[in-house]
Amino acid sequence: MDKIVAQYSRPSYQNVYSEQDQQDLTESLPPLSLKFALPPVANPSAFLRAMTDDHSNPSCPIKLAHGTTTLAFRFQGGIIVCTDSRATAGNWIASQTVKKVIPVSRLSRGEDKPTNEPTPGLLGTMAGGAADCQYWLRYLSQQCTLHEIRHKRRITVAAASKILANLTYSYKGYGLSMGTMLAGVTPQEGPALYYIDSDGTRLPGNLFCVGSGQTFAYGVLDANYRYDLTEQEALALGRRAILAAMHRDAYSGGFINLYHVKEEGWVHHGFDDMNPIFWKTKLESGEFSNVTSEL
Amino acid sequence: MDHQARETVGYSFSESTASGVKQHGFYPYTDNGGSTLGITGSDFAILAGDTRSTSGYNINSRMVPKVFKIGGDDETGEGANIVLSVVGFAADGTALKERLDTVVRMYKYQHGKPMTVSACAQRLSTILYQKRFFPYYVHAILAGLDEEGKGALYSYDPVGSYEREQCRAAGAAASLIMPFLDNQVNFKNQYIPGSGEGHALAAKKAEPLPLETVKGLVRDAFTSAVERHIEVGDNLQMVIITKDGIQEVYHPLKKD
Amino acid sequence: MPGFDFSNYNRNAALHARGVPLPKATSTGTTIVGCIYDNGVVNCEKLHYIAPKIWCAGAGTAADTEFTTALISSNVELHSLSTGRDPRVITCMTMLKQHLFRYQGHIGAYLVVAGVDPTGVGLYTVHAHGSTDKLPYVTMGSGSLAAMSVFESMWQPDLNKEGAIALCAEAIKAGIFNDLGSGSNVDVCVIEKDKPTQLLRNYEKPNERGQKERNYRFPRGTTAWLNQKVISKEDMKKYVTIETLSGDDNLAAGEKMEVDV
Repeated sequence: MDKIVAQYSRPSYQNVYSEQDQQDLTESLPPLSLKFALPPVANPSAFLRAMTDDHSNPSCPIKLAHGTTTLAFRFQGGIIVCTDSRATAGNWIASQTVKKVIPVSRLSRGEDKPTNEPTPGLLGTMAGGAADCQYWLRYLSQQCTLHEIRHKRRITVAAASKILANLTYSYKGYGLSMGTMLAGVTPQEGPALYYIDSDGTRLPGNLFCVGSGQTFAYGVLDANYRYDLTEQEALALGRRAILAAMHRDAYSGGFINLYHVKEEGWVHHGFDDMNPIFWKTKLESGEFSNVTSEL
Repeated sequence: MDHQARETVGYSFSESTASGVKQHGFYPYTDNGGSTLGITGSDFAILAGDTRSTSGYNINSRMVPKVFKIGGDDETGEGANIVLSVVGFAADGTALKERLDTVVRMYKYQHGKPMTVSACAQRLSTILYQKRFFPYYVHAILAGLDEEGKGALYSYDPVGSYEREQCRAAGAAASLIMPFLDNQVNFKNQYIPGSGEGHALAAKKAEPLPLETVKGLVRDAFTSAVERHIEVGDNLQMVIITKDGIQEVYHPLKKD
Repeated sequence: MPGFDFSNYNRNAALHARGVPLPKATSTGTTIVGCIYDNGVVNCEKLHYIAPKIWCAGAGTAADTEFTTALISSNVELHSLSTGRDPRVITCMTMLKQHLFRYQGHIGAYLVVAGVDPTGVGLYTVHAHGSTDKLPYVTMGSGSLAAMSVFESMWQPDLNKEGAIALCAEAIKAGIFNDLGSGSNVDVCVIEKDKPTQLLRNYEKPNERGQKERNYRFPRGTTAWLNQKVISKEDMKKYVTIETLSGDDNLAAGEKMEVDV
């Protein structure tokens, strides 16, 4: 028995945790950037731009997937989050089925089986570089989970958004491309919505649209938005605003992805093909009369 | 975001095209051509690729496989249950395959059980993202069977954004093969004849296809791509993953 | 105004300077070869007629080879008529090089000229900038290196007709298989003294199209439509006269269109 005890115990003078371990445990954010490979040139971000910026150089060798129209707004019943699902690489439609709403909650929860019950946690949206958004929102999920474990309560949207903004600010100039919204309802804040982008911007607000189709979505949203919208009205407005953007913006399209964030958590309200929704909207409400089915 | 601001410009020539950020002297990439394709079914997944390696108008080799077994017990890949295809710059592809293979094997030694496809998919994403500022010039596709035994297929962009899909084509002939797959696997633009008038016409629902059908689609996709893309040809490598293991077959393609 | 129209030149140059890509002309990724034998000459692939016993194989910008050879063919014929003699290969080659040199390489025609004339057998290459070569065996185009490797290892001075055709076909096949720009079939043109010129289209077909395994016919009604409009024959009669033809396929199709495949 003594032998076993000796094996699993340490002399009191020996540090249980190394200096590095202690730093990792006490620091709320681990040191960043050290693990990223950089090209062996004087100006890495110029190299990255030359290789991947398809707008300034349409024949660049590496075309990255970009996300495009996303929106979120606060109303009396919580927050509506709605996106399209198209990813483009140059003129090529890389995918029509991208999930641009990313759950930022305990890591496993976002991938659990679909239920009708609200899932606790925040929602993040994806515009700009798809990989940047996926990777850093996953990183944010880790930080939020650690926060929950350390402090025995869920992180506020303000704090979560600040982690992300500090992160993007620390990588400013490296060439990250992301425009994301964080939405959540917490006991401390109520419904809260923040916009964070790769320039390091962090803004709280009632209503945001992000992406190449943002102007089209704002047009619909600004015209019909009220804080006291009912839940059904709010869901319909989110869907209609994204539909407008998908219709007019070539870089947006595919499926309409709709979420509602409430006090108990977020609820998914469908991932629906835009085409039948468009025709239904046109034929039943007489909108989009510029589109004709006459030959 | 400056990127989006520029994308919204509706006219053809924005100011940024004039300057054109170009760096000369350091160009570490070569496009080695070729194409890959993956389709899943209810209890299998297929990954396929041609075996031609090119640079410019030259053929480097007519037999360079693009599909690799990941996490096998030895160098033959025996015992693996995950496959990876890489297309783009072959050197980056090989480096990526080696990395993922090492990670998956280490996982097995440390945990005493094979890595799940979903875990491997997430790991591949982070490996790609580690080189966010000096990307791997590759389009990767990962395939295997998920925890329920269903076919699983994940596709990636060069810096690690990924998505689970039913089918995906990548590489030189992706733009030729992908529309064919949309139509034949997901039945895009196909409606059920006589199911209704006008807007009531019902779209044909996608459902998992049987293995033999999928094999036929893969071979037809490549025989067509060979006719219209010069960088695709020589041989077709087809890797089929089922619960009984991984089967690898080769078919000849046109060599001109 | 005869000649080329340069009215869009400045505009396109300005656009190009701003990063707009210039329109791409079809470029023939090509292997063309030629080789002489005891009393004739063989050349292969992408062939243009110049005179009954002078043929030209073209690589480079498709439109340029087409129009340049047509122009020179016309001038060669006029020259032959005014001199009252059969045209010579060297004359044709000289006209081509003078024409191409004048345009300083902007006419992207790379040609192999081959033929038989009263002085004997002639085989030349003409580059877009106007330089020429006279050799017993020649190759041009993106597959020229692959084809030349065959000639360099297998050509002999005492080839007969069959040997020359086989060697040329072999050279072209080296281009077809090893150069990505070249592909499909081998065409051969054999020009002999005192015999009609033989044009062997698709002399060899080493790359037959692969057969599809599955059937891709869609049942009628698969495609969704927004609107339909039926125009009856009666309605059309208001605007045009309609004649009904018999069910005979050949009659209904009218004159069969000639299509290069």
